[in-house]
Amino acid sequence: MEFTLLFLATAIVMRIAWRGPRPLALGLFAAVLIACVATYLHHATDTLKLSF
Amino acid sequence: MTQTRAITLNALSLYAVALVLAAAFAAQFMLHELPCPLCLLQRILFATLAIGPILNIRFGPRPSHYAMSLLAAVAGTVASTRQVLLHIMPGDGGYGSALLGYHYYTWALIGFIAAIVLIAAIMLFDRQFEDDRALLPATGGAFAQTAVWLVIALTAANVVTTLLECGFGACADNPIVYELLRRAP
Repeated sequence: MEFTLLFLATAIVMRIAWRGPRPLALGLFAAVLIACVATYLHHATDTLKLSF
Repeated sequence: MTQTRAITLNALSLYAVALVLAAAFAAQFMLHELPCPLCLLQRILFATLAIGPILNIRFGPRPSHYAMSLLAAVAGTVASTRQVLLHIMPGDGGYGSALLGYHYYTWALIGFIAAIVLIAAIMLFDRQFEDDRALLPATGGAFAQTAVWLVIALTAANVVTTLLECGFGACADNPIVYELLRRAP
């Protein structure tokens, strides 16, 4: 579900970047990027099995 | 490089992002390979890469817009590097099929690194940041407008396909069916 919301948020930020106020687009972009990093860190808690 | 030429290059970069998103859809629908959670995250970061060029086309090139794309590309590099490392063990066949010898996440890593290099290269040209907006067509002309709407449409299409794949819960680590299309037993 979180990925659906991230895609939706990205589409909304693109739409605002194209038609809306610039400061709002910049702020929402920062929020989406932070959400992406948080999602990544959540999934990065899985064990990483390296071969060395 | 003039501002007009920089905007044309930004429109071209949007077509490149659209090509990546379309290729991911092609693999998903033609090869019936559903994207894993990390694959979806890389798609999202490719889409966020497009926000900087959209702002550049609308408001004119600014270093802050390029910086936004750089941050998205660095995040994408981290995510795709992790997926490459997840499948680095000898004997690991990797996730999904390979294209020209590389899996999609390896191509994603190459794509994100290429984006970082290209953005840094285009930022070397200072003249694009001088204000000559009077010479520009409103919102970059038809070529740029088509690029913007194409990338927005592909991102919106990903909202629908991701909802179908994951449903309203957490996405499966190794998805094989669309959760919302699964028939009740």
